Amino acid sequence: MAKEVISGNHAVSFGAMLARAQVISAYPITPQTQIVEMLSEFCRTGRLKAKFIKVESEHSALACCIGASITGARAFTATSSQGLALMHELIHWAANGRLPIVMADVNRSMGPGWSIWTDQNDSLSQRDTGWLQFYCESNQEVLDTIIQGFRIAELISLPVMVVLDAFVLSHTSEAVDIPDIKKVDKFLPPYRPKYRMDLNNPLAFGALVPPDYNFELKYQIQEAMEKGLAVAQKVDNEFRKHFGRHYGLVESYRCDNAEIILATSGTITSTARDVIDELRKQGQKIGLLKMRLFRPFPAAAVVKNLEKCRKVAVIDRNIGYGVGGIFCQEIKAAFGNHNRRPQIFGYITGIGGRDVTPDTIKEIVQDVRKANKADNRIKYIGLKK
Amino acid sequence: MKFNIPQEENLYPGHLACPGCGGALAMRLALKALGRKTMIVLPACCWSIINGPFPYSAVRVPLFHTAFETAGSVSSGVRAALDVLGKKDTKVLAWAGDGGTFDIGLQALSGAAERNDDFIYVCYDNEAYMNTGIQRSSATPWGAWTTTTPIIKEQPKKNIMEIMAAHRIPYAATASVSYPDDFIRKLKKAKDIKGTRFIHTFVCCPPGWKCSSENSIKLTRLAVESGIFPLYEVENGTKYILNRPNQLPSDDKMVRQYLQAQGRFSNLTEKDITKILANIKQEWLRLMSKIDRCS
Amino acid sequence: MKFKKVPCAISTETTLYNKTGSWRNYRPVYQNRLPPCNNVCPSGEKIQGYIDILNQSPADYTKAWELLTADNPFPATCGRVCFHPCEQSCNRSDYDEPIGIHHIERVIGDFGLSKSLKWRMPKPDKRFKIAIIGGGPAGLSCAYHLRRLGYQSTIFEADNKLGGLLSQGIPKYRLPQDIVQAEIRRITANGVNVRLNSPINQSIFSKLLNDYNAVFVAIGAHNERKLNIQGEDKPVPPDGGTNRDNQSVIPALEFLYNLAHNKKVKIGSRVGIIGGGNAAMDVARSVLRLGKKPIVIYRRTENEMPAIPDEIHEAKEEKIEFITLAAPHRIITRNNKIVALECVRMKLGPADKSGRRTPIPVRNSNFRIALNTIIPAIGEEVDASFLPYSLQENNRIKVLEDGITTSHKGVFAGGDAVTGPRTVVEALGAGRKAAALIHYHLKKPKLPQPAIEKPVAFEDLNTAYFEHAVRVQPEKIGLPQRFSSFAEVYKGYTAKQALQESSRCFSCGVCNKCDNCFVFCPDMSVKKKNGRYEYDYEYCKGCGVCVLECPRNAIKLVEEKR
Repeated sequence: MAKEVISGNHAVSFGAMLARAQVISAYPITPQTQIVEMLSEFCRTGRLKAKFIKVESEHSALACCIGASITGARAFTATSSQGLALMHELIHWAANGRLPIVMADVNRSMGPGWSIWTDQNDSLSQRDTGWLQFYCESNQEVLDTIIQGFRIAELISLPVMVVLDAFVLSHTSEAVDIPDIKKVDKFLPPYRPKYRMDLNNPLAFGALVPPDYNFELKYQIQEAMEKGLAVAQKVDNEFRKHFGRHYGLVESYRCDNAEIILATSGTITSTARDVIDELRKQGQKIGLLKMRLFRPFPAAAVVKNLEKCRKVAVIDRNIGYGVGGIFCQEIKAAFGNHNRRPQIFGYITGIGGRDVTPDTIKEIVQDVRKANKADNRIKYIGLKK
Repeated sequence: MKFNIPQEENLYPGHLACPGCGGALAMRLALKALGRKTMIVLPACCWSIINGPFPYSAVRVPLFHTAFETAGSVSSGVRAALDVLGKKDTKVLAWAGDGGTFDIGLQALSGAAERNDDFIYVCYDNEAYMNTGIQRSSATPWGAWTTTTPIIKEQPKKNIMEIMAAHRIPYAATASVSYPDDFIRKLKKAKDIKGTRFIHTFVCCPPGWKCSSENSIKLTRLAVESGIFPLYEVENGTKYILNRPNQLPSDDKMVRQYLQAQGRFSNLTEKDITKILANIKQEWLRLMSKIDRCS
Repeated sequence: MKFKKVPCAISTETTLYNKTGSWRNYRPVYQNRLPPCNNVCPSGEKIQGYIDILNQSPADYTKAWELLTADNPFPATCGRVCFHPCEQSCNRSDYDEPIGIHHIERVIGDFGLSKSLKWRMPKPDKRFKIAIIGGGPAGLSCAYHLRRLGYQSTIFEADNKLGGLLSQGIPKYRLPQDIVQAEIRRITANGVNVRLNSPINQSIFSKLLNDYNAVFVAIGAHNERKLNIQGEDKPVPPDGGTNRDNQSVIPALEFLYNLAHNKKVKIGSRVGIIGGGNAAMDVARSVLRLGKKPIVIYRRTENEMPAIPDEIHEAKEEKIEFITLAAPHRIITRNNKIVALECVRMKLGPADKSGRRTPIPVRNSNFRIALNTIIPAIGEEVDASFLPYSLQENNRIKVLEDGITTSHKGVFAGGDAVTGPRTVVEALGAGRKAAALIHYHLKKPKLPQPAIEKPVAFEDLNTAYFEHAVRVQPEKIGLPQRFSSFAEVYKGYTAKQALQESSRCFSCGVCNKCDNCFVFCPDMSVKKKNGRYEYDYEYCKGCGVCVLECPRNAIKLVEEKR
């Protein structure tokens, strides 16, 4: 076990390498490029014994992963924004084909106009495709989640997307504990799929499905997603046993007796942690709920952690145009018919890579403190008038 | 003359091809040539239907249905996985229609060809989107009616072979199920070569060509013999070998026979036919200027 | 449809569930059609069949011989002398050149002789006695086929030797006598009674009618037609007729008979042969071989000559002079010797009933050809005077519609005696038919109703699968040898040539396992079973590709009745 100071992107590369990805296929896009550069280097030096297919588009990148995965290889790709959007058709294909591919998505705002900076609209646009989505807070979490991602994906036969913010994580270096690969091997056994392209059992995959059967097949994805909550939790617990670290599906931070709880994802979480610490010092009853797993949505955990407080401020770095923040919608929906529910306030900030500073968080806290009753109006923090 | 084709059948009857489908025969013959150590990557095309609905399949080898434009890329992935899993003697066969090759799948195919990824790509070209009901593709020839070219298509057929040759892949060939020996020979030759191998197979679609099903083989034979679709091979993108015909026929009888047997050409005027004949000759001369030898 | 619980659309079953035969509107059916060669062969040979046997690997000549001789016991003979209408009908002639069928037939026939192949005949049914008058091709064929049908017959031959024209009229350079005699012996060795030197007269005929259950009259046509011109009978030898050396108008059959029997023939240095038939060619070419100058005189043009084209071609190859559009007018003699033939120049008028253009004399066009022997070869007539008057008509035997049965119960007739001078193979065919009719007359078996079938036409074939290939020509002896001897002109195919030529056969209308239907079926619905093809109608969609791709039209589409 060694600590290295590495960027979020390199944490992704290390994660894929330690997971012994067998086929990697990717196409360069800022801010993801360093991921593929380092993986190329790992393959060149033989540190990673994988086939790296350097394709001509993200679409082909995921297609290669699909081909590799159905043939029984552990497949990995990484992309961002436009690249992810280009993959969209195959995002569905991978999930409907029940292929445990792991992908890193570096959150980047969608064009036009061109942007290379972060927000979550790219990954959240893929929320209903059948991929699991993890939003990471630190480079360590990125590395660990890639490894966990393969384990979960292969247990429930669904693909996993590990999401990290552009630049704030991707290009920011932190000290990261790089686990010993032998230890990773113990945690993550080789990929042995039940169904794959096999000469000895020649099956056809993905034929035309008449209405008589399709409902049942789609339902099985939903079942797997539901099962995924428990599996993700179990895998996280196992990970803790192997490596001493764990993250939970959501993380409740200083929520004891909290009247106000902030709900955050991605790197906003770590900024919010500092603000919470500061405000707690001032005696404010405030806490934080880190949303790590977005799909499947951990509704029960969310309700359990939030039901006792008075107000919840959901901070979204995304816009579901015409509705509001996507995390906010999901959290509200989680309370659905629940009797005991806090007032839920939605805030949108940091779009297009605008900095989310402690002051941004404080402004939100002040606003939520003042408000008595949530009125479903979306508030935009840092929006220039 | 008797054909010398492998007796092993790797295709089950009961598949859903229309009567007289040249594409169905192409698969049957290709699998005879390649044998059962083959995996098929199948993008959207007639064969997506032909192979049977879930939970059925007509081929005796593994087959992966994939998105329309991904034959080249998924095949690269399958190949990579086989290599990494140590199954180097398993052959990957990408099997795509003209739409999936000339149009929507061209990028992925070009990418794979540029990387020289190790698989055989067979395009069975019936010259339009037949599965969706006869819409023009860039493989549709000048002068053909389709539902989206209500009189005639006014652009020539894309020369996919030149595109593939330009990639300098180790092997590219045109083929026709009307010449089973030649078709099988080319697949076997391709089988023994490493890298991207491209077989452009011309097949008749009786409903799409608006011809009677029994004419299926005859028409593609006429296409070859008349010089409309000459059979040739290109090694390493530069060495051209002509298989058939040895020369353009001296008269236009076969071309007319070919056109007249197909309802899709019924809107052609005499002037149009003259143009087609001139074009065949021009393309022939262009091809001949590259031929290194005749087989 | 079984549903196996799988996580996604994974197909675990095959399409065999889907019986696509229900899609079919037409079903392909294998058929055996009539090849044109078989259709026209007067002797009913299964030509396509024996050629197909030679095309198998290895070629089984014995089997081919058995199939061939089941219809024609004279393959070595016919392979040499038949006018081979089969080759004229051969569909290959529309593609490049017809198959050399008669050369192949000859190879098979010669093989049979060289290996002394024998037939297995059924035991004869001794209850029935059959008389055959005439031991020529028709009579011998009848005896042979009767023997195959289980009857023993007795041949009454006027001459001292069987064979009719085969033994008496065809020169050796076309048909060596050892060949034909061997083939005759092979027939008689199978239990045929032969009475040589047994001419029939009225009283003997009456007796035969009493003693035999059936009589087949096959006496041929042996009376040479006369020219009926001035001087034909005039040049009587000065010694009153005993010294035939000076006879100078010799009937063609007499000339050929003497040659065949190695008798001395006396002819002059310039011999005029009148006529354009096969006999005329035989005479002319024989004259040449005797070292004299033959001149063929014919009243129409070469195009109208009834002789088979090969014969004309070979005569011309041997540089025999033809004077056409010339009709004999009178014979000019000096000192009782012929010195010239005066002819009238003819021109061609409108076509007659036979389709040939009629010669019309040109006024004042007489001209002379210097000759000292004249051999008329203008046809022969039948001498059927021993028969009841009711059975005679126009110098021939009168028969009913089938061409064989006569109005007299139990009496049958065939060959040249019925048709006038025709060909060997037609006589053989007549004998064969007579045997069948006699069999019917005696035992009333169920006669197979011959289906009226259209033979395969060239348009019915798919020639895309046939490579162009020139006809294999057997070797011929050189001209100097032909000018000086009666050595056989054609050497016949070598075994290799026979196979090479056989491989050119289209096998019209008859499956020869070329595999096309199997290869081109998109639905795996052509199965190979026990060396045959079978359709799997459970799956065959009836597309018809096999029908069109069958090179030989051996598959048809039949509407599906549902």
